[in-house]
Amino acid sequence: MFVISCPYCGEREQSEFKAGGEAHIERPKQPTELSDDEWAEYLFMRKNIKGIQYERWNHAHGCRKWFNMVRDTSNDEIKAVYKMGEKPPSV
Amino acid sequence: MLNFQTAINDQKNFSEIKLNEISPIRKLILRGKSREFLSAVGKTINILLPTEPNTSSSNGEITIIWLSPDEWIIFSNSIDNQDFNQIEEKLVQNICKTKLGAVIDVTDQFVMINLTGNKIFDLFQKGSPFNFNEFRNKKGATTQTLLAKIDVIIQNKDQNDINVFVRRSFSRHLYSWMSDSASRL
Repeated sequence: MFVISCPYCGEREQSEFKAGGEAHIERPKQPTELSDDEWAEYLFMRKNIKGIQYERWNHAHGCRKWFNMVRDTSNDEIKAVYKMGEKPPSV
Repeated sequence: MLNFQTAINDQKNFSEIKLNEISPIRKLILRGKSREFLSAVGKTINILLPTEPNTSSSNGEITIIWLSPDEWIIFSNSIDNQDFNQIEEKLVQNICKTKLGAVIDVTDQFVMINLTGNKIFDLFQKGSPFNFNEFRNKKGATTQTLLAKIDVIIQNKDQNDINVFVRRSFSRHLYSWMSDSASRL
């Protein structure tokens, strides 16, 4: 269990949040022009690295807003939290 | 006027804490983002929407709780407030019809439970992950959090006087959990 600082509500406990997977995956502009493999790559393939990962989180039991988080998956250290649409900080 | 039925219909008096449902209380959810929305609501109900997170504002008639950057809950301060119909009607005219935002009547969706006594936070401590240290001394502070794994909105109305809003389908279970916990404080 760890404390997450929601960019809207402030510090809350992890159990109030839901993880939403990898962040900054762009939807292809012309899905019809993609091969099945490329589409599957976009749809299913996610990084699962040990180390610094950019993720989406949702404050499900609070303000219900989505936001981004930079987290070190090896020790759960949160490097940065930023709102949707903002540029990812370099960590 | 609708014929409201109470969800809990019970009152508990323990030595250090009292629980009871306040009903019927009219409640509205307001949603909107733009600056025009904020000013239109302010003009319509003569009270500004709180924009600071985890706060509430109130006048004699109504109280507004901040829920998220684009969501607020408004409820009447008194039971069976007939003037609330006018407030709702005006909001629908000035907010919905002008497409600035949304107004949803959640009177039946949320149940308001009032807790009084000096051991309220000991009760919350048993089932909430929220840190109430600053909250308990700040009048008007609000939070949305979990209590016994149930989504609740908690408002610090006054010293040792707290309102809890819970979805109706969870209300009896939460009330029974609170009664049980409070009996052993």
